[in-house]
Amino acid sequence: MSLESLLLLSLVLFCLGLFAALSHRNLIAVLIGIELMMNAASLNLMAFNRFSVTDPTTGQVFVLIIIGLAAAEVAIFLSIILNLYRTHRTIDAEELTELHG
Amino acid sequence: MELVIQYLFVGLVLIGGAMAALSRHVLYNIIGLGISLFGLACLFLQLGSPFVAAMQLLIYLGGITVAIVFAMMLSVAMTLDPLTRTPVKTGFAGVAVLIFGLGVYGLITSTTFATAPLAASEAWAVGRIGSALLEHYNLVFETLSVVLLLAIIGAILIARSEREGGESA
Repeated sequence: MSLESLLLLSLVLFCLGLFAALSHRNLIAVLIGIELMMNAASLNLMAFNRFSVTDPTTGQVFVLIIIGLAAAEVAIFLSIILNLYRTHRTIDAEELTELHG
Repeated sequence: MELVIQYLFVGLVLIGGAMAALSRHVLYNIIGLGISLFGLACLFLQLGSPFVAAMQLLIYLGGITVAIVFAMMLSVAMTLDPLTRTPVKTGFAGVAVLIFGLGVYGLITSTTFATAPLAASEAWAVGRIGSALLEHYNLVFETLSVVLLLAIIGAILIARSEREGGESA
């Protein structure tokens, strides 16, 4: 696989994630879209790491850090979702308008 | 043969991503995310990094996806009847994604990327990642561990405080 085809694959994955994050109403589905976008970024880094870097350690460390940060982000996001569900009985992004200007 | 396997991995990634983005039911979204993550782990393996592939499987598939399933089960009333998306919202999201995608596609096709020869196989050894994390990237490593600790404490606090409020009310 060439570098360009991997970049195009990660572009398609990022677009799918962006569409999910923009169009879904359930907050869990929005989170899934964000995860897809982060994984597209990881794939990009791994592709450049394989094809255009002389020391392949850097990209792998970068991807590991992305995975760790994603775990932290998901923990916070899910606890916020659970709290929202407990107080508002909904996780519909269009009904949660308390901070709406 | 190798090409067939690569197309299989790419197909896994794309089918999973499409399921996650287009399906209306949250459970199908999560399954799609899992399929896509598995395909990506296979691609990482193909790109020469078994350690990152294993971490992707362990943390993403084994941890994050399962955590999302738990959150879905705890908010089950919302997932029994899937929310309908209005065509206006879907349309605007589609247009935005199309503009972004075409822009980046133009960038990718018009750029010539520098290529380097494939590094020697000992440069890909797992031990190199370990020593890089503990020597050159030590600060990042420690910062990440502090961030994870703070995330765990924060998640516990956010999920806990409301329950106490609910009991006193």
